[in-house]
Amino acid sequence: MSGSISHADPASFRDPAGRVFVKDGRVYRAIYESALDDWTFTVSSGFLDRLAAAGRIVSFETVRSDTLGADAGDPPLVLEHSRLPFVSYPYEWPFKALKAAALHHLDIQIEALDFDVALSDASAYNVQFIGARPIFIDLLSFRRYREGEFWIGHRQFCEQFLNPLLLRALVGIPHNAWYRGSLEGIASADLSLILPFQRKMSWNVLAHVVLQASLHRSAMAHDDMVDARAIRKISLTRPSFRSLLVRLRRWISHLVPAGDEETVWGDYAKVNSYTSDEVAHKRAFVAAYVEQTKPSLLWDIGCNTGDYSALALEAGAKYAIGFDFDQGALDGAFERARSENLRFQPLFLDAANPSPNQGWRQAERKGLRARADADGLLALALVHHMAIGRNIPLTQVCDWLVDLAPTGVVEFVPKEDPMVGKLLKLREDIFPDYSVETFASSLGSRARIVRQERVSPEGRTLFQFDRQAR
Amino acid sequence: MTLRFVALLSVFLCALGVGQEAFAYLDPGTGSMLLQLLLGGIAGALMIVKLYWARLKDFLFRRKSKPRDRTEQ
Repeated sequence: MSGSISHADPASFRDPAGRVFVKDGRVYRAIYESALDDWTFTVSSGFLDRLAAAGRIVSFETVRSDTLGADAGDPPLVLEHSRLPFVSYPYEWPFKALKAAALHHLDIQIEALDFDVALSDASAYNVQFIGARPIFIDLLSFRRYREGEFWIGHRQFCEQFLNPLLLRALVGIPHNAWYRGSLEGIASADLSLILPFQRKMSWNVLAHVVLQASLHRSAMAHDDMVDARAIRKISLTRPSFRSLLVRLRRWISHLVPAGDEETVWGDYAKVNSYTSDEVAHKRAFVAAYVEQTKPSLLWDIGCNTGDYSALALEAGAKYAIGFDFDQGALDGAFERARSENLRFQPLFLDAANPSPNQGWRQAERKGLRARADADGLLALALVHHMAIGRNIPLTQVCDWLVDLAPTGVVEFVPKEDPMVGKLLKLREDIFPDYSVETFASSLGSRARIVRQERVSPEGRTLFQFDRQAR
Repeated sequence: MTLRFVALLSVFLCALGVGQEAFAYLDPGTGSMLLQLLLGGIAGALMIVKLYWARLKDFLFRRKSKPRDRTEQ
């Protein structure tokens, strides 16, 4: 078909059976000859229709096979998928999101067995979210189950789902930083090294982490003694396969973060320096902004437990993504999104070090800014953490915020506020220019200040900006 | 000890090679495959015990109930 060029998704190269393409803003999946039999079988089993109807996998529709043309290597079959509001990665997910994704993957596998269908891998990147609802996106992972086959994706499942969850549940370390540096997940051998002895004494930990790592290590060390051909013929009965999945599911469903959970910010919505009048004032300001601009994608930087994202959705925003670096707050936010069924997705982010372009050719996993164009922004009680907490010049903070979205609301917290007082308590004040006047003039030189309101006696001030109206 | 264990397992595997050869674009990892064999073996063993336990109970129950059957006849 004529028209514009199809671009292959740079993350879709591992499985040669198919590829994802983007053309005119629409998402297509090319399925090549080698995968055709498995695809036909899976579709005729009725399993995919059932999952798609329940919104558990991304929806798909067969389109003309020449839709992508020679750019895509003339695939015999082309599907079109609905677009997701935002693509996120497991190293950005809070614990509860990673856990929900792991359970989603296992549930699909367990049910698939009844349809004689299996999954060819267990990549965490194949699960995405709409709000707090997980959705499986890689339809080419489904293929015919062969009687006696073992679970090919087991190791990948452990590295990309189980081990990162155990890191937080058993040791208390959040998975995000480690996972971001190690895109394939956390190796069992590495996790095994840092698990305390008493944690290794659980049967599940012993089997899936310690024993797996030690079997792998000794098999590698005594390569000549292991008959690879015999290993490739391992058979696992269907009941054993199912029982492996069901047991893992039961175990993971009970995992909770270690010391659950007294983080600094989790209670922030309750314990902060605002009075209820100030909160009402702030809420009214944000609601007015959202009603006026109706953003389709709103970024809430420093979202805490999602109070203002929830408010923005009520006021007419279509989708909100919240970013925070506090694990307790993020878990709270995820729980809120799930229980209230909000189109709100909380993600881990250190605003001074946002997710970069990385992976193969630095294009496989995109940086935050390259992934979406937000058209609305909330940055409440954030600027002082960047400007004073991280020494980022105020003008650069303004540059960054104004570049993120064309319109937004930013809160400035002055030195007189007790929260800034805490940041300066133990250090020299090297910020003579940190004032509401400097901030206003800096913001004003980059965007039009639509409204400005002081919301606390100490001088907390809200600014609504519009970059395009300048 | 682990060396002996792996050697034993691979002998066991050679004797057991009945499944379909699995091909995948993903490397499943030797550790994971050996572990699944072990877990599958344990699950299999438990099922056998369960099966025989049922037979044993069945056997005992029949032996007990047989005399009563006769008197009823």
